[in-house]
Amino acid sequence: MSWENFRVAIFDKAPDALFVHATIVLVTIMIAILISIPLGVFLSRPKYKRFGLITLNLLNILQAIPGIAVIALALPILGLGMKPAVVALLFQSLLPIVRNTIAGLMGVSPDVKEAAGGMGMSQRRILFEVEIPLAMPIILSGIRTATVYVVSIGTLAALIGAGGLGNLIIGGLSLFRPEYLLVGAGLGAIMAISLDRLLSYLEYRITPPGMRVE
Amino acid sequence: MSLINFFSKNTETIIEYSGNHFTLVLWAVGISLLIWVPTGLLLTKSDKWAARVLALANTIFCIPSLSMFAILVTIPTFGLGRKSALFALVLYAMMPLIRSVYDGVKNVDRNVIEAAKGMGMSTGRILREILVPLGIPIIFAGFRITVVMTTGIAAIATYIGERNLGRFISEGLVRSNTPMMVTGALIISVIAIGLDTLLGLIEKRIVPKGLRVTR
Repeated sequence: MSWENFRVAIFDKAPDALFVHATIVLVTIMIAILISIPLGVFLSRPKYKRFGLITLNLLNILQAIPGIAVIALALPILGLGMKPAVVALLFQSLLPIVRNTIAGLMGVSPDVKEAAGGMGMSQRRILFEVEIPLAMPIILSGIRTATVYVVSIGTLAALIGAGGLGNLIIGGLSLFRPEYLLVGAGLGAIMAISLDRLLSYLEYRITPPGMRVE
Repeated sequence: MSLINFFSKNTETIIEYSGNHFTLVLWAVGISLLIWVPTGLLLTKSDKWAARVLALANTIFCIPSLSMFAILVTIPTFGLGRKSALFALVLYAMMPLIRSVYDGVKNVDRNVIEAAKGMGMSTGRILREILVPLGIPIIFAGFRITVVMTTGIAAIATYIGERNLGRFISEGLVRSNTPMMVTGALIISVIAIGLDTLLGLIEKRIVPKGLRVTR
């Protein structure tokens, strides 16, 4: 190991890689949230419960596919670059959020809903002002699972030319430069752990004190 | 078409790689069960330690798998090869296994344990005849997650010198040999989905009738 290599890895390579990685994670999670929360809300309505079970089973199967296989399958279909990587990551980040949205909404006590209805709230207001706020901690925990997952599999996205921290790791492995390896791997681990901590803190903050489990 | 061609031309390699893959997964799951199930059982005795160990397991679980392999490779005793791969896989199995054993045992109704104690059962017998059978649905769910996850992550170990199914993907990418890559990805996906479905079926069978939840 040499200091010179470390310097190059940290100051020349890492900022770029970190920025690309953060972009991939942010974009993927944003799109995943935009798709899965409405989907979860839709599937938890009593009318569409039947589709809910089918969708959940389908997403469950998708989730079982290893990340590296999804990335490898994305390449021939979608090509190289950041966009295919985001699509591939998106596939697997949907399940935790959809599942938790449904679980959270179903977990809201019927009494609370009835009380809200009795106060004259419309279905829409009950959803936005009662059900979603009460389900939010569980939804957020799904988002946390998905985020950690995307950071992790995001390192593999370097294989299809998306860049990011995986570039440093794979470059380090093929050139056998442990400095690159350590910088890339370390930053990836730190990013995943700190996002996990941040989101679980947020989860704790938005949980009403009465609902906190010790 | 080229897929079928690749498949028929490389049957021997596919079998060899699949064999390596399964050996690694079997070893990893076996060692994980031996270490983490007793650990999880022990942790049910002390809530303070349980919180600490679970937090540690959670943190380890967050580390991207490629990062974990990469960090292990730079440590002299591990280096490239099976030792690093096994160690990483066992570390990843820590979270689902400890968590499910802990949750499974903790979820058992206190009254049932009390009743068993009142009947004069020893701690060992309570563990064997009450806690484990009643906790088995949750424990098995954790085992299922562990197996499916280990199968997936084992493929990534190809980057640190394992010759398993992941090699088709890594080599296919380097040589831009699409049939090779897709074959590898498909085989791994089919195995993962198959294992998940199979274990899901077993999961349904072993749950005591009274505990079955209608979903």
